[in-house]
Amino acid sequence: MTDVVLEHRAVTQWRVTLALAGRALRIQLRRVQFLLPSFVLPLLLLVVIASGTSAAQELPGFPVQSSYVGFVVSGTIIQGALLVGLMAGIAVADEIEGGFFDRLLSAPINRASIVAGRVLGTMGIGVFQAVLFLLVALAFGADFTGGLPGALAVVALAAICAGAAAALGASIALKTGSLSLLQNLFPIVFVLLFTAPAFLPHDYLNPALQAISDYNPLTYVVEGMRGALFDSPGLGSVPLGFLSAAALLVAMFALAVWAMRARVKT
Amino acid sequence: MPDPAVPPRPESSAGQATGDAAVLVENLERTYKGGLKAVDGVNLIVEPGEIYGFLGPNGAGKSTTVRILTTLLRPTGGRALVAGYDVVRQAPEVRRNIGVALQEAALDPLMTGRELLQLQGALHGLRREEARERAAELLERVDLVEAGDRRLQTYSGGMTRRLDLAMALVHRPAVLFLDEPTTGLDPVSRNALWREVRSLNDDGTTVFLTTQYLEEAEQLADRVGIIDRGHIVAEGTPDELKRLVGNPALMVKLIDPAQHDEACRVLAPHGEVSDRSGGGLNVRTPLGARAIAPIVRSLDEARVEVDAVELEEVSLDDVFLAVTGHPAESDEDVRDAQP
Repeated sequence: MTDVVLEHRAVTQWRVTLALAGRALRIQLRRVQFLLPSFVLPLLLLVVIASGTSAAQELPGFPVQSSYVGFVVSGTIIQGALLVGLMAGIAVADEIEGGFFDRLLSAPINRASIVAGRVLGTMGIGVFQAVLFLLVALAFGADFTGGLPGALAVVALAAICAGAAAALGASIALKTGSLSLLQNLFPIVFVLLFTAPAFLPHDYLNPALQAISDYNPLTYVVEGMRGALFDSPGLGSVPLGFLSAAALLVAMFALAVWAMRARVKT
Repeated sequence: MPDPAVPPRPESSAGQATGDAAVLVENLERTYKGGLKAVDGVNLIVEPGEIYGFLGPNGAGKSTTVRILTTLLRPTGGRALVAGYDVVRQAPEVRRNIGVALQEAALDPLMTGRELLQLQGALHGLRREEARERAAELLERVDLVEAGDRRLQTYSGGMTRRLDLAMALVHRPAVLFLDEPTTGLDPVSRNALWREVRSLNDDGTTVFLTTQYLEEAEQLADRVGIIDRGHIVAEGTPDELKRLVGNPALMVKLIDPAQHDEACRVLAPHGEVSDRSGGGLNVRTPLGARAIAPIVRSLDEARVEVDAVELEEVSLDDVFLAVTGHPAESDEDVRDAQP
């Protein structure tokens, strides 16, 4: 096969992926009733924390003295990213049940593009969501010493996490084809959050949770976000956060592509 | 100029080029997990430019066959070529050459007609501007220009079906698969869709049409295959299939049931007379509708009062009963179920 043909195919697949990403983004924004919980639930938690539990920062040795909201917004962003990912899975299951997915499968495209389009579209929502959450945190008095570069790193990490969660949601949808199963997976988001230092520093967790959180990749993402927001490697390593988020995205994407192949074969 | 990325067309097991048939199916089989055999040794050929009607009741194996031919499902036995390409080994080439409008027009209700057409264009490799132009052209063709920028949730069933058809045409496919395209449509929408299918066929598109209605196949198809329990049980033109049922039947409804015997006597010279289960009489005659006037005259002369004389259309049920010995209604809907 000539280089020209390969290049043409790559360009076409990229165009297809972008078209599918644009559609995924547009449709998710139009399904407000589905998207709203992934914005409202984390924001509610943030507001409750901001107004009622900020005394936590008075605890001896608490790593961020300036603002508990600023500390906890990383957990809120991760929570939002996981929820939009789950919504992406629900959208895929809905397309499978409704038959639209068959239309995508009957097109002459690389089927990994279907997953990639969904992941990219969800990453777009992740960007929008992270910016919004950071602005709300600022409105509630957060003070981010990392400035704009730190905020940009957090938005990028949020987008990657949203993409990974979308790929995981898509894998479950492709493997089971069940809308109701995905709708019942919300509690898992909280399990993942509470087994990572999303709302309290790692050292404040009980020993069992500490041990579990060491194996939870989200631990390194949430700590990386804090390191970026406060420009403080002591709070978390930004490169490690990116490495962990990227590894999650690659692994979940591979899982989704495998689930797609398995679905088509059966 | 041929696309260098597209593999050459295959040869049949006999070594002959098979590029002539639009669809070639040999001993096709599909067994689902659990052993359910939805398609069991189907053989058929569809010539280029033909409209092939694929008839069968729910659960006969129609949709499973179409899903295999459109590369959405892999066969567990046999082989199928579409537009000259193998549906398993050359699936991307098959997809490039087919248009698909599946059952119940599975379209995203949150998108507009234009967005869907443009997306379909992108999926088939059109550039943004090309996709935009093609979408406008197709909206005009299926008479949806005004509704083009409305979300699908506001479309009627007929409009959705027309858009579904337009989407299948975005890339000017050589073979068009229509899976029960008029199910649930009102007569006006159904006729509009039939006109469009005929017009497409006039332009040279091969059409593979699945339907439960013999009337639809009769209106559109050059040839018809009837599938039952995963097998093709009859194949031919619609007229040939109807002849399998025997002479057409005229239904005679009497005003006064007491005149039954007299009516039988009068009708006997016109054809084979039998009682109808719901009352009245059936007269089977090779003249069909042309026998209505003489029958009415004979009954009138004998002073037998008649409520109605109607020609009974031969239905798929009748043909089914004639070729399979059992009614078309199947309780095995699971045959077409998804795995």
